[in-house]
Amino acid sequence: MTALARAIARPDPVAGFGDRSPLHGLERRRIGIVDLAAQSVAAVAPAAAATTVVLLVAGLAPGATVTAIVAAAILSLGVARTVSQFARRFAATGALYTYTARGLGTRAGLAAGAAILTGYGAVAMFALLGGAYYATYLVAGLWPTIDRALVTVLLVVAQGVLVAFVLVRGIRLSARAALVVEALSVTLIVVLLVALLVQIGPIDLSAVAGAGVGGHLEPTAFAAGAVIALTAFVGFESAATLSVESVSPLRNVPRAITGTVMLSGILYVLAATTQVAGFDALGADLASSASPVNELAEAYGLGGWAVVADIGIAASFLACAIGTSTALVRVLFALSRDGVLPAAVGRTHRRYGTPATAVAWALPVITAVPVLVVAGGNDTHEAMHVTIGIGAAGYIVAYILVCVAAPVFLRRIGELTVGAALVAGVSALALAAALVAFLVDDASAGGTVLTVVAVLSVAATVAVVALRRRHGTGALGAYDEPVAAQVLGGVVSPRHPDDA
Amino acid sequence: MREVPALAARQPGAVHSALAVLEAVAQLGAGVSAQRLSAELGLPRATTYRLVNLLVEDEYLVRTPDLAGFALGAKVAQLAAVVAPPARLSSAARAVLAEARRTVRGGVHVALFVDGRVAVVDADPDFPLSDEARLAREPARYALGRLMLLSQGDARVPELDRARADLARWGATRQSGEVAAASGCLAVPIVDASGLAAGAVAFSGPRHRVDDPDAVLSALRPAADALAPLVV
Repeated sequence: MTALARAIARPDPVAGFGDRSPLHGLERRRIGIVDLAAQSVAAVAPAAAATTVVLLVAGLAPGATVTAIVAAAILSLGVARTVSQFARRFAATGALYTYTARGLGTRAGLAAGAAILTGYGAVAMFALLGGAYYATYLVAGLWPTIDRALVTVLLVVAQGVLVAFVLVRGIRLSARAALVVEALSVTLIVVLLVALLVQIGPIDLSAVAGAGVGGHLEPTAFAAGAVIALTAFVGFESAATLSVESVSPLRNVPRAITGTVMLSGILYVLAATTQVAGFDALGADLASSASPVNELAEAYGLGGWAVVADIGIAASFLACAIGTSTALVRVLFALSRDGVLPAAVGRTHRRYGTPATAVAWALPVITAVPVLVVAGGNDTHEAMHVTIGIGAAGYIVAYILVCVAAPVFLRRIGELTVGAALVAGVSALALAAALVAFLVDDASAGGTVLTVVAVLSVAATVAVVALRRRHGTGALGAYDEPVAAQVLGGVVSPRHPDDA
Repeated sequence: MREVPALAARQPGAVHSALAVLEAVAQLGAGVSAQRLSAELGLPRATTYRLVNLLVEDEYLVRTPDLAGFALGAKVAQLAAVVAPPARLSSAARAVLAEARRTVRGGVHVALFVDGRVAVVDADPDFPLSDEARLAREPARYALGRLMLLSQGDARVPELDRARADLARWGATRQSGEVAAASGCLAVPIVDASGLAAGAVAFSGPRHRVDDPDAVLSALRPAADALAPLVV
């Protein structure tokens, strides 16, 4: 009789497993790979980024737009792969926060938590503002006399209420809503881009690839372009926050994360190629255009399509608000289950199995900040610029921490490989360089983002020091542990006394 | 970007290696690390890591709460159930079955529903089941699996609404031309004392005999009734 046959016939008792997961209360194993990927894609909002970020990249790195986007995609793939090292080993709604806490301990974990909350929170505000901005633009086309600021405020509030409702009403509804809205927006943009490409006709590939001006390309301009392009990818990791709610999370979450980077990369390259080639063929300057897709559509006789693009972009922003808020409340939920936030925040809705209390805490703040900013007489577009900048800084800090944490974690569990360490190390260095470049660039442009990031960093440091004293080392990082019933011969052990 | 082991884990030898990993975990006991497994099995480390992660994805292995060790998952017991020799029907039951096979002239099989699985107890040797592994994997695609899911009160699978209607009308579940265009199957419940379907007598054969099932059912219904006291 083999050892395996013996173990199956008469299992040895295995202690050390609880009778329920520390992350109990959420609706478990509910959504499949498509809905899971939709979460990540929605948080990235590729349809909105394809039209806005490409323009920014073209402004910073003319002649190397596509190359800069490809470089950012490769860096994002490195981060995605490193995040997957954690995601394929355990399921945690805290995602980057929990991963970092497991690798580097309490202090770094809390820092990553603060950074990713900043990222999700600021990008959720950005998305509410963006959705309201484009919707106001559409409404103003119908009634030119309306008070734009008032309409924007009302639209922000309406979207905030809608997001909160969808989030509480169950993961299937919010994932499906994000999927439908995002699929709609991506399809609209792709159709428009392909229609434009057909109209433009044969493309001068050397001009698109930047080979024509390769000799004159400045490395600093290229780097600045790549850093901005990176902000178009952030959010791809957010599927990890749905680990508990996903079917086969250890398999599907890494696939969803990597797939999102690939899909976004392809869309951005398509968008950049169309816009660069289109303006090249017109003999116009892409970087000085205010709204390149609209102008191209106009120039190539597809004027009516511009409205379609605007609807697509507004939809993409709404999906982005749903996606980032979904991720945000799950990080809050994880922080509460770790005892960092009050236990009430970790309460789930009895019927829908969603972190409803965390939604009730987070959504009013996410909605109120943009409302106050717009009501205070600030320009919506300027507010969007600042919130996306703060969000990107938060994401990049969290990515750096998780990339540093990965090799340490893998070494601790005895599963470190050279390849994994190399990918994580190179990604961390490149991200750190990108962050510095990003903040230096902002400082030269007025420094609003830098100021807010500095204030948030000080606040986060104070919080981390205080909480570190309360929690000690190695106390954080609760994940979806297997329960005794999943273990052959598993015996329930009282591992979580407060759960009893 | 892919590590070399990605390849190794797709090679045919991967199945052998995966079973060797399970065997080693059973031998070394719960809590064994991936590094120890790699040393014990003489497999390259990266290959071992990939294998254990795949086995954890499918819950054949579970990670211990500190994430560094492994234990056998409850799911390995299913492996044993799949390969375990099927229970043999009593000679009285086999006589009933032989009579049914003579009348029907097509595949007639007997299966029991055990722990949410379809365990085929006696497959027709002259008309073997088309794909038993697929029946285990995707029960909702087959008449036997549908009957089993209905008997469990499983309401989530959309195919089951039609199966429920079939069961109400014919006293049997059906699958017609959904797996292979020209063939189909149907399953008549073997009901235990509590009135639940504990197993089934199934027919597989040409599609038209499933679409118009009266002839087949008139042979299978008495067989199912006669088998009930003999097998459940």
